[in-house]
Amino acid sequence: MDLKEIKELVQVVIDSGVAELEVTRGDSKVRIRRQVEAPRQEIVIPQPMAVAGQPAAAPGSNPAPAAPSEAPAQAQPKEKDEEENLHFIKSPIVGTFYEAPAPDADPFVQVGDHISPGQVLCIIESMKLMNEIEAEVSGTIVAKLVENGKPVEYGQALFSVRPD
Amino acid sequence: MFRKVLIANRGEIALRVICACKELGIPTVAVYSEADRNSLHVRFADEAVCIGPAKSSRSYLDFPAIISAAELTNADAIHPGYGFLSENAEFSEVCQASGIQFIGPPPDVTRLMGFKQHAREAMEKAGVPILPGSEGILESSGEARETAAEIGYPVILKAAAGGGGRGMRIVREASEMDAAFSQAQQEAEAAFSRPDLYLEKFITAPRHIEFQILADSHGNVEVFGERECSIQRRHQKLIEEAPSPAVTPELRRQISDRLRRALHEVGYVNAGTVEFLMDETGHLYFIEVNARIQVEHPVTELITGVDLVKGQIQVAAGMKLDEILDGPIELRGHALECRVNAEDPETLMPSPGRITGFHVPGFIGVRVDTAAYQEGVIPPYYDSLVAKLITYGRDRAEAISRMHRALEMFVIEGIRTSIPLHQRILAHPDFHAGKLDTHFLERLEQAAGAAD
Repeated sequence: MDLKEIKELVQVVIDSGVAELEVTRGDSKVRIRRQVEAPRQEIVIPQPMAVAGQPAAAPGSNPAPAAPSEAPAQAQPKEKDEEENLHFIKSPIVGTFYEAPAPDADPFVQVGDHISPGQVLCIIESMKLMNEIEAEVSGTIVAKLVENGKPVEYGQALFSVRPD
Repeated sequence: MFRKVLIANRGEIALRVICACKELGIPTVAVYSEADRNSLHVRFADEAVCIGPAKSSRSYLDFPAIISAAELTNADAIHPGYGFLSENAEFSEVCQASGIQFIGPPPDVTRLMGFKQHAREAMEKAGVPILPGSEGILESSGEARETAAEIGYPVILKAAAGGGGRGMRIVREASEMDAAFSQAQQEAEAAFSRPDLYLEKFITAPRHIEFQILADSHGNVEVFGERECSIQRRHQKLIEEAPSPAVTPELRRQISDRLRRALHEVGYVNAGTVEFLMDETGHLYFIEVNARIQVEHPVTELITGVDLVKGQIQVAAGMKLDEILDGPIELRGHALECRVNAEDPETLMPSPGRITGFHVPGFIGVRVDTAAYQEGVIPPYYDSLVAKLITYGRDRAEAISRMHRALEMFVIEGIRTSIPLHQRILAHPDFHAGKLDTHFLERLEQAAGAAD
């Protein structure tokens, strides 16, 4: 995350009135917390980052929020819209993800396929038992989020789907 | 030594196991429910796998989830901690079948210890004193009177098929037996559909005394002295100490010898605790074996200098006791533990929530075993233990004085805790005098009620 992105996030906190925002992108994480008693922003960065974060307003300074007022980049709102519409199919168990019924068979589903409730999307193997994972919604597969043969944990996102 | 240990637990005991593994140079895997995503055991393990939603039955008690997590991470051993699956013989068997070493006793030993009647018989055969009682079900109140005459009053009639205080009657003399017998039978029939009763010696003011043991897989058993856990509320321990002010060196030696023999005979392996009740004349009576590491193990660690959790891992990896221990067990000094719980001190209701202020006491003679931290959350789904505050001193008085000081300097804000209760108990002259029994807390609370 770079300074521009952090400034944008600070602006989001101010504009929305939200009290606390934490964003993780890859290896970097930022948490922005608004102090309700004294109106100034405090930026806490738990992970080491390439770029130094925006310093918090000094104590006793002007009570109005002292943050930059740049408009968020145009690309972001559109991405957010699309992401908001996606449904994520999550693993109900711990195990190994298999995209096809057998090693040499075709995958159950591909990106772009339409799926309906009850349709088998993949297999998760747990303790030598093959568990078929079924779709709960009707829609189109946008992305397959796990590689074939990789371990998955409970709640891990397997597919993103655009519901009908 | 193991390639990787998975800890099938959460909270402070998971962290405790991680500590032992780090010191032994063994990589660790934490498993966690969604409610524990931000837990310290997840942070400090080398790897972590989310195994289910908050509900224990679908996470920490879920065999396939845990075994899968072990297989995915290539762990070759599982430490079950205490509670959860630690005394589940079936789970221990599933580990065995999956080629994973369960860090605890073998499944059939866990199973034997779980059947109280069988455990009693095994101990009795080896000369460990058991609570005198009827041989089996009592056929009539006449038989009850005969048995009671042999054992000596007071006695307690208990429902064979139940518990929880129902189908129980204390009988203080022979003349009360007939009425008590028929009342207890009626209650037992109503509550458990079986009127069967048995009879046990009743101890009016028992002390809860337990002995710590560790056995290797080569038939060697060692005993690490005893703990006294008489300060309890509804069978939940609040304060424990080692050694017990009521156990003489001679009694300790005698019981330890019998236990070494008994546990060797049943083929016990790994850590365990043998529980006794002590009556008013100082006699000990066997109650049961807890085939796991216990919450209060730190007080024993402090007076013996032995790391019991490391010992568990080493035993499970096949090491012999004389390789694990420096020499014969010697008890030095005195240790106390307070279980600091998230609870309202007045209503005693659990008080889960976010900890907004946290300062842990330290300095000489103080140990704190905790997974809590500032801004951390005590979730409502599991037990309410926030921290174990343990103090050590050259003698009991010093351990108590350090506990006073440490309780005063333990800051926990945002949730209610049992610290004020611990302070009241520790301030009581009977506590200082070592005049303890399992009704101590009841009396304290009654006195407090009367004073209002």
